[in-house]
Amino acid sequence: MDNNFDRRDFLKVLGWGGAAVALSGCGNTSVEDGKETVVSYVEAADYVMPGISVYFNSTCAQCDAGCSITGRVREGRVLKLEGNPDSVINRGKMCGLGQAGVQHHYNPDRVREPLLRTGSSGETITWDKAYALIAEKLNGVSGDQIDFLTGTVSGHLKALLGNYLETLSSKNHYVYEAISPAVQRAANLKSYGMEMPRYSINKAKVVLSFGADFLGAWVSPVHFSQQYAEFRKGVDGQRGVLVQVESKMTLTGANADRWLVVRPGTEGILALGIINALGVAGLSLPANVSALVNAYDKERVSKDTGVSTENLVKLAAMLKERSPSLVLLGSAAEGYEHGSQNAAAINLLNQVLGNVGKTVEASASVPFPQIAPTIGNTAGARIVNNRLASGQTKVLFTYGVNPVFTTPAEMGFKDNMAKAGFKVAFAHYLDETALQADLVLPLDSALEDWGTQVAEYQPDGVQISVQQPLMEKLHPNTRGMGDILLALLKQRNPETYNAFDDYYAYLRTALLKNKPQFADSGADDDVFWNGLLGSGIINVSGNLNKLSDKMAVDINLPAPVEKDSKYPFNLIPSVSAHLRDGRHTNQPWLQESPDPLTTIVWDSWVEIHPKKAAELGIVEGDILQVESKSGSIKAQAYLFPGIHPDAVSIPLGRGHEAMGRYAKGYGVNPFHILNRVFDRETGELAMHETMVSISKVGKRVIVVKDEGAAGGHQDGRRIALSVTSDQVDLSEEV
Amino acid sequence: MHRFIRLSILLMGLFAASSSYSADVQLAPLTTADDLGPAIEQPIEFPHNRHAGLRNPNDPTNSDPLKGGMEINCLYCHTYARRDSVAGIPPIQKCIGCHQNIESVRETPRIKKLFEYWEAKKAIPWKKVHDLPDFVRFNHERHIKRFVFQQNRPVQEVCGACHGDVKTMTVARRQKSLAMGWCISCHEKDHPVTASGNGSLINAEGMPSSMGSLAANGVSIGSQAYWYGFKKPAANAAGAEVAKGPNDCSSCHY
Amino acid sequence: MSVTNLLENWAEFRHTHPVDDVPHDPYKWAMSIDMDTCTGCNACSVACYAENNLPVVGKDRYEHGQAMHWMRIERYWPEDGREFPDQGAQFLPMMCQQCEAAPCETVCPVGATNHTADGLNSQAYNRCIGSRYCSANCPFKVRYFNWYDYPTTENVWPAEMTMQLNPDITLRGKGVMEKCTFCVQRIRAGERSVKNEGRILRDGEVQTACQQVCPTNAITFGNLVDPDSRVHQQWKAQRVELTVDEQEKDKEEGGSDLRGYRILEELRPYPSVMYLERVRESAI
Repeated sequence: MDNNFDRRDFLKVLGWGGAAVALSGCGNTSVEDGKETVVSYVEAADYVMPGISVYFNSTCAQCDAGCSITGRVREGRVLKLEGNPDSVINRGKMCGLGQAGVQHHYNPDRVREPLLRTGSSGETITWDKAYALIAEKLNGVSGDQIDFLTGTVSGHLKALLGNYLETLSSKNHYVYEAISPAVQRAANLKSYGMEMPRYSINKAKVVLSFGADFLGAWVSPVHFSQQYAEFRKGVDGQRGVLVQVESKMTLTGANADRWLVVRPGTEGILALGIINALGVAGLSLPANVSALVNAYDKERVSKDTGVSTENLVKLAAMLKERSPSLVLLGSAAEGYEHGSQNAAAINLLNQVLGNVGKTVEASASVPFPQIAPTIGNTAGARIVNNRLASGQTKVLFTYGVNPVFTTPAEMGFKDNMAKAGFKVAFAHYLDETALQADLVLPLDSALEDWGTQVAEYQPDGVQISVQQPLMEKLHPNTRGMGDILLALLKQRNPETYNAFDDYYAYLRTALLKNKPQFADSGADDDVFWNGLLGSGIINVSGNLNKLSDKMAVDINLPAPVEKDSKYPFNLIPSVSAHLRDGRHTNQPWLQESPDPLTTIVWDSWVEIHPKKAAELGIVEGDILQVESKSGSIKAQAYLFPGIHPDAVSIPLGRGHEAMGRYAKGYGVNPFHILNRVFDRETGELAMHETMVSISKVGKRVIVVKDEGAAGGHQDGRRIALSVTSDQVDLSEEV
Repeated sequence: MHRFIRLSILLMGLFAASSSYSADVQLAPLTTADDLGPAIEQPIEFPHNRHAGLRNPNDPTNSDPLKGGMEINCLYCHTYARRDSVAGIPPIQKCIGCHQNIESVRETPRIKKLFEYWEAKKAIPWKKVHDLPDFVRFNHERHIKRFVFQQNRPVQEVCGACHGDVKTMTVARRQKSLAMGWCISCHEKDHPVTASGNGSLINAEGMPSSMGSLAANGVSIGSQAYWYGFKKPAANAAGAEVAKGPNDCSSCHY
Repeated sequence: MSVTNLLENWAEFRHTHPVDDVPHDPYKWAMSIDMDTCTGCNACSVACYAENNLPVVGKDRYEHGQAMHWMRIERYWPEDGREFPDQGAQFLPMMCQQCEAAPCETVCPVGATNHTADGLNSQAYNRCIGSRYCSANCPFKVRYFNWYDYPTTENVWPAEMTMQLNPDITLRGKGVMEKCTFCVQRIRAGERSVKNEGRILRDGEVQTACQQVCPTNAITFGNLVDPDSRVHQQWKAQRVELTVDEQEKDKEEGGSDLRGYRILEELRPYPSVMYLERVRESAI
């Protein structure tokens, strides 16, 4: 008897019995014999039993933080994603975005067949034909004319992609992330000697964050949330204090002990002002720093930033008294023409406070450069756009990006794309970019595919997260990105790549080759491999980067801009933890999960300060036209106290014109009205530099939101209570 | 207008409901009568009697399929029942495990069909015979563990309590009503409790505690049965402590 | 019992289970939520959707107040007339408080919602007739009604998405009330498995979906009568008693320096969820 049990067998869906039972719901109200079918296995491993869940470790692909997950699989269907407790990144926890990964997998609007554009319509073609077409279109095109535009890539997929580009003699791999802390990476490299050091919120007594939404969408939010919990419990019983400086309240700002509203763009001035105040309070400053901040006395800084001198002095006193502290910066400080200068000033504050080496620590570098992450930034799309516009790009491949949705309309990406002769989109959904492609190749979901992921932010050593299928393919004609690249590589270089049946074989071979570095070199291959799949992670120590602490004082901050009478408001495109740049907007749990601060669902809104709204006669639900130099959008007004009166804010992520039933037609897309302004040093899109005007269009709607049963007001009832730290004794708590 | 008519009907209904609720009605006696379900056609007419039926004492070699069974334990095939909420249908692998070595019946129509499924690697679309409503959570494991493993009762008696005398059937057919009243007829009964005194786990302070120790050889009352109406079970006439089976709604409905 | 007598003795009448000595043996499920570590991130709420087959109702129905979020995060602003909320917002995870003297239970005309021996407020979907009295009488507004037959409503669970549904719990049809169950399916599964071993559940063996996912561990769930459980120790340290409508510590002059409290305790529902007040630094 054939006892060879194929691991994939139990990933097979056991039939629709279970789902059908569930679906009939309360309809089936009596004992019903013989109406339903019980589908059994042909063969089954001992540990697979109908009715009992099996758990497999894999990696979350909803963002690039690299959280290791545990999928609950029953009767071959993945039901729920939970955190893998062994992962140093997320330690068994998950965010809402990650959990919605099942809705990416089961999404009814996934692309299921390769699609070829013929004129204005599309037709379904076979994979063989698709591959042949790519080979044909690449024929006679020089490497320089072939561009790959992808999101952040890491792991063995990145290695394969690199190999493929090599066979095409193309060096044009551009990595694009619409929301990316790219400016601070550059600043960190100057200040700390590495782009992304380790931040230890849990070791800090005070965290001063300049718009870094580390509890929401910044870098590695699940990890930082856990650090934050420790920080609140305190070191030696002293509860950590969080001060957030920003122009529009983020989730992190909402959790701050003190939220300081700052005039948009003056974050750097405030940082230098704090250094000055620290000097005044008696902290000894190096002479060059002292010279730099000399002009930033508290009166001037208060006038420029809008932060009161009293708060400035108090903050400096606290920072001086409670050490170590930690200063962080986020997109709110980076997103200006002088973003790099802001970032440098804020990093300087960290250095002055002596936090480098204490709460800003050296990160480990990935010992295998070919699988280390290649991090995206907005410059990627900008360069490709220019190349497309000038006709340099003949063939464009896109993967994991949606530049038509996420770039300013003024850049004209959509139109420029048409100039390339042949566009191939590797896509899960027909999003705005895939719709412009000539060939759309349907991808496996992250829960169906093999892979490895290496996150940029590594809290402890280096964790390589392994991705494995949690169930069989939902749609027979989708392919994994790795398998597609392998097939394309076989076209170009069959001698080398015909050795691999599929991406799985490639991955296994590649990982086994490095076995001595991961495990006891004597370990049996199968034992090693099964252990790897069991744990879902590989931890290697990596080499610690060298932390430098060079204070750069060549900081040149512009004076705050005077108000433009035509466009008097700063537009703050806000990033939510769930919707990010809009690539997950079609996951209904996320659409229906209220924005934490406004509690609005399923739509976009314009945040405006109540005082300003009163001045302009705006009430909640008024449809406002928000107009920038480069375009206008209309959305409902929401009066929001946590915003600077000279700013309005619209969340990113909604406003899709495609991407299926759960995304299309909900809300507006502020990416499209952003002005084409870039950070002077890095060339990154300055997301916060857009000035807008607002006007009522004379229509009012009911804002669909969930402010809780009490409507957001406690009216003196004891519902959500708060105390000041001097009124409680936390030391006795369990 | 319709709305008002509907409302008044609702109110009348509620009134009727509440008046009957408050009246001191005698509940109908709990039913335990058998209630034969419909005969169900299965893809393969599986002879339960041949597999689980009693041996024919006059036929020690068990050669005549019409006269005797092989007394195979229910749990041999329905192996999930002791580990899982659902009893499950065995994988075909299990059938083949035996039948590949039983040449005598290899060419019979049913076994040929079985091998066809096996060779095609296709699961057999069995029809569900005992199909409870979707809002009922029945757990096989707990019943088997309690009655077979903790109380050492014969398997066929334990399974047969709900599934009827399957060993005499070919294709299984429902024999018991499986309606809620039928379940309750057992769960409302007083069952002897094996622990003496308050059988909970008790810590040093005399509080029930998960880290405490269990009374000697006892199974905690709490861990064995709920007390209906929060009443502590009284000793029965023979002095043994008794408790009812789990019988609040959320034991089975959630 | 006269009406006067009933009103006068309401508390006693309502809360006391007819118990001889120890109620809740061996379990009383309870929770505590630390609002100083809760960040309002909504991970718990999404986990609840995933675990409990909650329908996504869509924008129009949400507007009609028909959202089905068993676990919701309420957001409050300080109401002291400041120009800016310079101490942030306040987040409050709100779900069924599993009251010991639940207002919803007493008004159900058909006894569809009632108390279990382990201190849960259970909801028997098959018994519910949809009168919605329970929801009207719930001071926390955490009961959710199925106005539509969501399993058959377009785009709620398209064919592929039905495969995600948790088979361990009932999928509710139209006309049925539902609410947070403290993940009763996990509790029952846990209870059954330890019964087989002849013991009771230890702390941490059953986690609710929201607790399991919470990135800051703000939610603690466990057996309140087990002295070794964290939830028991927290309630004890905070001096919060289950079946009282005013805590001893609050009667003391000057109040206490403990953070534990229960919402709307004065209404005497005896909630099983203790909240820990949010803390804000006084030095800044």
